Amino acid sequence: MTNCLFATHYSLSVTHYDVMYLLEHDAKQLLASRGIAVPAGRLIEESKAARGAALPAGPWVVKGQIAAGGRGKAGIIRKAASVAEVESHVAAMLGQSIKGLPVNAVRVEQQVAGARETYIGFLLDAASGGVRVIISATGGMNIEQVLPENLHTEVAPPDALALAQCARRLAGRLSGELAAAVGDAAERLAKIFLELEAVLLEINPLFVFDGGRWIAGDAKIVTDDNALARQPALESLIKARAETYADVARKHEHGFDYVVVDPDGEIGLLTTGAGLSMMLIDEMRAAGLKPYNFLDIRTGGLRGETKRLTQVLQWIGEGRRVKVLLVNIFAGITDLGEFSRLLVAALSASHLGTPVVARLVGNNLSSARSVLAAAGIPLYTGLDDAIAKVREHLAHENR
Amino acid sequence: MLNPRIDRTTPVIVQGITGRAGQMHSRLMQHYGTNIVGGVSPNSKSININELPVFSDCASAVKATGAQASVLLVGAFDLLRAMEDAIAAGIRYLVTPTEGMPAHDALKAWKRCRETATVWVGASTPGMAVPGEAKLGFLPDDSLKPGPLGLMSKSGTLSYESGFRLAQAGVGTSVWIGVGGDPVKGIRYSDLVPFYASDERTRALLVIGEIGGSEEEEFAQALAAHNFNKPAFALIAGRSAPEGVTMGHAGALFHGSHGTYASKRAALEAAGVTVFASLTDMVEGIRSRLR
Repeated sequence: MTNCLFATHYSLSVTHYDVMYLLEHDAKQLLASRGIAVPAGRLIEESKAARGAALPAGPWVVKGQIAAGGRGKAGIIRKAASVAEVESHVAAMLGQSIKGLPVNAVRVEQQVAGARETYIGFLLDAASGGVRVIISATGGMNIEQVLPENLHTEVAPPDALALAQCARRLAGRLSGELAAAVGDAAERLAKIFLELEAVLLEINPLFVFDGGRWIAGDAKIVTDDNALARQPALESLIKARAETYADVARKHEHGFDYVVVDPDGEIGLLTTGAGLSMMLIDEMRAAGLKPYNFLDIRTGGLRGETKRLTQVLQWIGEGRRVKVLLVNIFAGITDLGEFSRLLVAALSASHLGTPVVARLVGNNLSSARSVLAAAGIPLYTGLDDAIAKVREHLAHENR
Repeated sequence: MLNPRIDRTTPVIVQGITGRAGQMHSRLMQHYGTNIVGGVSPNSKSININELPVFSDCASAVKATGAQASVLLVGAFDLLRAMEDAIAAGIRYLVTPTEGMPAHDALKAWKRCRETATVWVGASTPGMAVPGEAKLGFLPDDSLKPGPLGLMSKSGTLSYESGFRLAQAGVGTSVWIGVGGDPVKGIRYSDLVPFYASDERTRALLVIGEIGGSEEEEFAQALAAHNFNKPAFALIAGRSAPEGVTMGHAGALFHGSHGTYASKRAALEAAGVTVFASLTDMVEGIRSRLR
């Protein structure tokens, strides 16, 4: 029941943001605390906890919690008529891996029956400079198959009044009773979208009963990391569930980006700048080399301290096949002499123990040259020359 | 048509000039030749920084100096307000290197810039430059050489490396715009296609992109829409990034078929753009075409 409509109908998938994709359970808690009706449910994080747990009244739907859509099709959304059935679904789902994401938690909630399934979505639309609103009288698992002419959509300016009016206007195109119910839900959700500074808020399905009562059957919220420090509810959510939102929590804590791209990688990378670091990984892979990690250390944020460098070198040291470290810094501003002193100190504090090859370009290169020479680290100014040296080390290690 | 061309006479102020970055970069920009005429700091008691007058708001800075452009070195949560201050004072050229601007603030800023025909480069931009004339932002001098190649880039570092190697190979830049890595931003690649098409000093155009978002695809469409008839080149980072993994502000988190390396490459090649697989190929390819 959780397929992302935006990814299929619009060319503006939730890409290129520093974002946090909330688990359905967390999204529903946030919505419920802001007055949106959601089915009664509880989160189960270990399989034994299901037994005797205070479940809401049945029948139930058991929903695996991962930060991705397409869960229905992946088989981690299952109906259950008895507690035994709940337990067996929970046991089967926990520990599964879907799309590379582990199912560490399951939400068990009350089934909703006898209602129409509709759809409401809000998405920050970078290309058109507004918020795209989409409303449809039919929602649910096969939302991608709804014909474009049955999706009511417009881009509204990012202010409360305009967005509420847009939501009402689009809902007004639905028939009779649905117009009022979906309009009411959409107007409240629009307000929450702005309050949370969300990048995406999608309710699919929004259940609507005869008489106009509605309830959010699912909830997908993607939030903007850049707004985190002024969003206390989201900030405390990350703190409380640092394991679930590990990448965001790490970035929030440390202030830079680090990703292991290949657990079997042989080359640790100490690099700055996301674009150049990605390009370096691309070129190494194309040349048959195996980089271990992506890193945007942000030399401007070191502020004369070794802490960040030492931390990163320790993480790289966890790579079981890492045999050589390549340092590649193009410094427009950073003083390379100071950087080199920090690097040498951090290498000794982190006990990395692999050979190091440095390629530096920029400010105060001569000072860097003498600092690195004293530490026995070869320095290159050409990237291709540095990579050739890396190859030499690998050939030696693999001999 | 948005025209990002500035020169050594364009009067520029620095908002946030009393901060660490403001002090350092106003000095570095002056050193390059940029006509920095003053700074703004709402709460500072300083009267001068680097012998430049410091004002409490943009209106007084504009009145005293005639500033036409501003480089904003203020905190991410202060950026929207500072941009509004500059626009209200009549400044129509903003460069905002600040990283981490909240996306909803960026949407509001985008709307304000559209309404007032303000050129906004950023956020998360390393800056822009007309080599040999002036630079607004952080671009390293070693990468800036005057010449015929228009250059636009999301990434800072990859553009420094590219500009540096091109300069070493004898290829200089006409107007260099770091559009920045944020999804919601001011100038996007496609916005400047009409400018580069008509700019007489630009003989070819290089776009340095990365996976994620749809800007490269939009750029490809804009080339066709404006009958762009100069050679166009591209370098796209992230070809080997694992799907679903975010890599920095470059944000290589993508789903489905859009925003991938394959989709961008296909769109660009269909529009007649030469897409290079490596920096070395790029430098050699452009050098030989522009010889």
